[in-house]
Amino acid sequence: MNARFGDAEEAFRDEVRRFLEAHRDLDGFFVQDSRWDAVKAFFRALGERGWLSLAWPEAVGGLGRSPIHEYILWDECAYARAARPPLGAGVVAKTLIRYGSAAQKARWLPGIRSGELHFSLGYSEPEAGSDLASVRTRAERHGDTYRVSGEKCWTSYARHSDYLWCLCRTGEPGSRGRGLSILIVDLHAPGVKVGLLPTLDGEALHEVLLDDVSVPVEQRVGPENGAWTLMAEALADERHVQFPPARLRRDLDDVVAWARRHGLERDPRVRRTLADLAVGVREAEVLGLRVLETLVKGRSGVVEAAANKVFQTLLCQKIARAALDFGAPESLVAGNPVEFLWRQSMWETIGGGTSEIMLGVVAKQELRLAGRS
Amino acid sequence: MDFELNDDQRAILEAVETLLEQRAGAARAVALASKGDYDAELEAALANAGFTDMALSEETGLLEAALVVEAVARAGGLAAIGAAALVAPHCAGRALPGPIALASAGERGPVRFGAHARTLLVAAADEARAVRVQPGDAETVASNFGYPMGRVRTDGGESLGAGSGARLRSAWRLALAAEATGTMRSALHITVEYLKQRRQFGHPIGSFQAVQHRLAECAVLVEGSRWLTYEAAWRGATAEASATAAAYALAAAHRVFSETHQLSGSIGFTREHDLHVFSMRLQALRLELDGVGGHQRALTRSRWTTA
Repeated sequence: MNARFGDAEEAFRDEVRRFLEAHRDLDGFFVQDSRWDAVKAFFRALGERGWLSLAWPEAVGGLGRSPIHEYILWDECAYARAARPPLGAGVVAKTLIRYGSAAQKARWLPGIRSGELHFSLGYSEPEAGSDLASVRTRAERHGDTYRVSGEKCWTSYARHSDYLWCLCRTGEPGSRGRGLSILIVDLHAPGVKVGLLPTLDGEALHEVLLDDVSVPVEQRVGPENGAWTLMAEALADERHVQFPPARLRRDLDDVVAWARRHGLERDPRVRRTLADLAVGVREAEVLGLRVLETLVKGRSGVVEAAANKVFQTLLCQKIARAALDFGAPESLVAGNPVEFLWRQSMWETIGGGTSEIMLGVVAKQELRLAGRS
Repeated sequence: MDFELNDDQRAILEAVETLLEQRAGAARAVALASKGDYDAELEAALANAGFTDMALSEETGLLEAALVVEAVARAGGLAAIGAAALVAPHCAGRALPGPIALASAGERGPVRFGAHARTLLVAAADEARAVRVQPGDAETVASNFGYPMGRVRTDGGESLGAGSGARLRSAWRLALAAEATGTMRSALHITVEYLKQRRQFGHPIGSFQAVQHRLAECAVLVEGSRWLTYEAAWRGATAEASATAAAYALAAAHRVFSETHQLSGSIGFTREHDLHVFSMRLQALRLELDGVGGHQRALTRSRWTTA
C-alpha cells in the first residue's frame, strides 16, 4: 500500500495551486450558474494550459496524463471554491473520444478543449429522474434529421450552455433502456425553450422544452438505441472528479473558522462534533483515493464510486448541519457561510444520482441481493 | 383516560382551520417571506375571532391554545401566534400587545419576529420582563428560514414577577413543540401526496417498501410530537412536560426535514414546490432556547435537580 502520489503529481498540485492564486476571488464553485461569465473565463484559462484535456489522448489534442492529474486539478479547484468540472470536457469529450466519428471529434473537441463550448446534461425529465430508462423525449427519424420533442428538467447551466447532451427515445415506447440514443441538441435551435427553476440555494436549475426541434443525424453520438452502455461508461469516466473530497475539507475549515469567530471553539460539545467531522473528512479522502485507484488500474469501480458518493454527500450535509446545531441563532443570518452551506448541501444527496440509487448499486452489485422482477 | 378531542375542541379546530384556509397557506407565506413581511392581518383576524385568548378564558385553556398554534403552523401562517396564544397568557397571565417576540436575556443573535414586535418577552434567570418596543428599535436581519428575523435589545422592561422566567421558558418550549408539530405535519403531508403521484420504475415512488418505511417512521415521529405536545398543554405546561415535548419534537424536526427533502428529490430543492415553506422553518425552530440540547438540559433539571 502507498497512500501518496508521486513527485511529478505533487509538482502538478503545486502548479495548480499557484495557478489558482490568480483566481482566488472567483468563488464560482457553488454559484456557477449566477457567475457564469467569470466561471467561463476561468474555464478558458484552464483551456489555455491544456487542463481541460489533461487525460485525453494526445492523438485528439489532449495532454495524455493520468486521471490522477484530473483528480488533483478538480480537488484543488474544489478547495479553492473556484469551479466544478465542466460536463463538456468530461462526459461529452470522453464519450466522443470513445464513440464519436472523426467528423464529430473534429467538430466538437477543439471548442471543448479551449473552454469555449459548453454542454448541459439532458437526462432528467418530469417523469424520469432516477429511472432514466423511462425517458420519453421522442426523437423521430426523418431521413437525415431527427425531430425531437419532449421536456427535460432540473438541468444545470442550460441557459448558459451551447448544447444539450440529450437522452432521447428512438426506439418503441416501452423499449426502456434498449431504445435510447444520445443526440447533441443545439440549445439555440428553433423550438428550444429554456426556463428557470429557482432553487433553495439561491441558484437555479432549468427546464428545457423541445418542440419539434430538428437535429441532424450526424449529431447522434454512438449507435442508434445504444445510449445505455455509452452513458454507463461516461459516468464511470468521471467517477474520480464527481465529488472531490477537498470540498469537504474546505467546508469543515469554513465551519471551524465560523465557530471561532462566534466564540464557540472552546465549547466541548462543539469540539467533539468537529473531531467527529474531521475523522469523516479523512475517511472521505481515503475513499476518494480508492475510487481513483480503480480508474488508474482499469478496474470497474462502480460499487466503490456509488458507496463513495453516499458517504461523501451525507458527510457534506453533516458538516453543514453541525454549524446550525451548535445552537447559535447567528447561523440563521442570510449569506453567512454556514447557512449557505446547509442550504446548498441539500442538493448533493440528490443531484448526479440520488443516494437511494447509489445504495441500490451497492446492495445489488456488492451484496448480491436479488432485485424484484 | 380519553385521548379524543371533545366536541368543543373539535369545533374550535374546525373554526380556526376555516379561517386559515382563507387567510394563510403556502402561497401567502411565500409572498410575505419574499419581502420579509409579517402577517399582521392574520394575527388580527385570529385575535378578533378569539383564537389567541384560549388560554385566558374560563372555558378553554392551554390545550385549546396549543391546538390553535399547531393549526396556524400547519397552514404556514406567518404570525407570532405561539407567543400570543400560549406564552404571554401563561407567563404574564394576560394578553400583551402583539406581535410578541421571545428572547433570552443577553441574546445577541437574531430572534423570530424581532423586527416586527411591539412586545418583547425576555427570559431572565428568575423573572421574565415585558419590554415595549417601537418599530425601528430592532435591526431587521435577512434570513432564508421562512420567518422574518430581527436583532433586539433585551434590557429594560417591566418585571412579570418572581417565577415568571421559568413560566416563560416552559410555555415557549410548549409553543415550539406545537409549531414544530404543525410544520412537520404539512411537510410530511406534501411529501406523501407527491410520492403517491410520482412514478418511477413503473410504480408510484410511494409504493416502494424502502420509501414507505421511511415515511412511516416520520409519521410515527410526528404523531409522537403531537401527543407529547397535547399532553404538555393538558398538564399546564409544567417544566418537565414542556421540555419533554420540545426535546422530542425538535429532534424529530431534523429527521422529518432530511427525509422529506431526500424522498422528494429534485423538485423539493426548487422553490416552485411548497415543501420548503415548511421545511426551512423547522431549522429556525430548532435553534431557539439553545436547541434540542437546551430542552434536554431543562428536562433533566426539572426532573432530577432539587432547587
